[in-house]
Amino acid sequence: MATQHNKPKPYLSTVIFGALSISFYVLLFSNETMVTDTFTRGGIYTLFPVGTAFLFSFIHGAFASNLLSVLGIEAKKK
Amino acid sequence: MKRFFIAVLVSLFLLPLASVVFAAGGAGPDKSMLKGVLVEINEAEHTAVLQKDGTKELRNLIIGEKVRPEDLRLHKKVLVSLDHDAGENVIKDISIMFMDMTMKKLLSLLTIGLVGGILSGFIGSGGAFVLTPAMMSLGAPGAVAVASNMCHKFPKAMIGTYKRWKYGQVDLKLAATMAVTAIIGVQIGVMIQKYILNQWGNDGSNLYVSTMFVIVLVVVGSYVALDAYKLSKGNKDADAGTPKLALRMQSINLPPMMNFKVAKVRISAWVTIPVGLFTGMLAATIAVGGFIGVPGMIYVIGASAMVASATELGIAFIMGLWGSIQWGLSGLIDIRLAVLLLATSLIGVQLGALGTTYVKDYVIKIVMAATMLIVAVSRGALLPGYLSKFGLVDQLTPATAAFLDGLSFWALITALGVAGFISTGAMVKGMIADRKESKLHIVAEADRA
Repeated sequence: MATQHNKPKPYLSTVIFGALSISFYVLLFSNETMVTDTFTRGGIYTLFPVGTAFLFSFIHGAFASNLLSVLGIEAKKK
Repeated sequence: MKRFFIAVLVSLFLLPLASVVFAAGGAGPDKSMLKGVLVEINEAEHTAVLQKDGTKELRNLIIGEKVRPEDLRLHKKVLVSLDHDAGENVIKDISIMFMDMTMKKLLSLLTIGLVGGILSGFIGSGGAFVLTPAMMSLGAPGAVAVASNMCHKFPKAMIGTYKRWKYGQVDLKLAATMAVTAIIGVQIGVMIQKYILNQWGNDGSNLYVSTMFVIVLVVVGSYVALDAYKLSKGNKDADAGTPKLALRMQSINLPPMMNFKVAKVRISAWVTIPVGLFTGMLAATIAVGGFIGVPGMIYVIGASAMVASATELGIAFIMGLWGSIQWGLSGLIDIRLAVLLLATSLIGVQLGALGTTYVKDYVIKIVMAATMLIVAVSRGALLPGYLSKFGLVDQLTPATAAFLDGLSFWALITALGVAGFISTGAMVKGMIADRKESKLHIVAEADRA
């Protein structure tokens, strides 16, 4: 495992993105009925599920990337 | 980084535009399929009243003979397909669109999301073939399972592509070329799926999805398995040579010829078109496009398993986005399923992607073949049940049905376990070897100093 000893680990970003991500999940599931109903109306409402998927991937993806760095799991250096 | 973002932005602008142009061709809810809420059920008279989705329009329906009473639930959004042969407004099939989310289902989705993510990051595809049937077995209708998986696939593929592109494994030009042709394939696939849903309802859709799963997985999986077996017997340290078929294809000098720098291939565009087309068709209908795309790029085009699996992620992003727009227009995406899968799969996909930097090319083929063949058993076990619903085979005894269900379930778990075990094992082994090597390097440098 090629841990980067010199580079500081992104603790702060992990916490920020983690908190943001959890808030979005809580927001979505606390309004479950309204969300599932609106998101499946078809037509222009397609933007809702597709946009949500993008939003979650950026926020949660950034969290996941930072988390792996914090855990010291990095790609092999060439 | 800049090139990658330009590629993502171009896809974002072009796809919705193209989607509108193509919309007349396949999108939009089917005419004989109704989406709405049951507001009244009269079991004695076999009638029900449905309020159509997004309108206040009420429609009186007759409950068909094959409809199970437990499927009729008031005030739940349902998908209804009508039986035109039995008369007007006769329900052929009804299923609840949004399953109730229990803790067990939530944990199942998170677990399969993680393993599916690792697989996707590792072999370029592989979440879908487990995720779609898993969602169906948790209670999502076939079409909703495919749609929700598609909506979870493209963000996952986007993150995976970015990671593997950073490792120098993605051929963006090959991905774009394949994706353009695959989009036409997706269009055809969506139309086929809708036609089947329209004609034969959810049972028909399930039968079709399962049959295609089994055929594709057995044929392609066996071929990859054979190849991986030969490679594992031979010199493991050497990268595999270009397959014979790919060499023959590369010798076809039919313009326009294309140069793919990362894949190190020069090949006619006429060869990539059919490979892309089939990838798209399978991705849209049964969500396992990658199992045609990756072997297609390896054995027909001649890319290495490493580049093919990484490039497949790029194709999966573009096609997944396109497919999601199509399914979204029909209002079939259950976003809860998509984001729950993303919760763990976004971690998994990055783990799998970095794992490829520690393994040899043939390991990717072994993982791919193993998962494909075991999942084929899982879906194959469900076929007799679906066939009996159409009267094509005798009604199954409850004991046989329970056995086949159990076999299907455990084969799926085995596939997940085996794939996760091989890829994680190879990854960890590679990481330990790498760490030892760097330690030796540090010691050697210290000695020199």
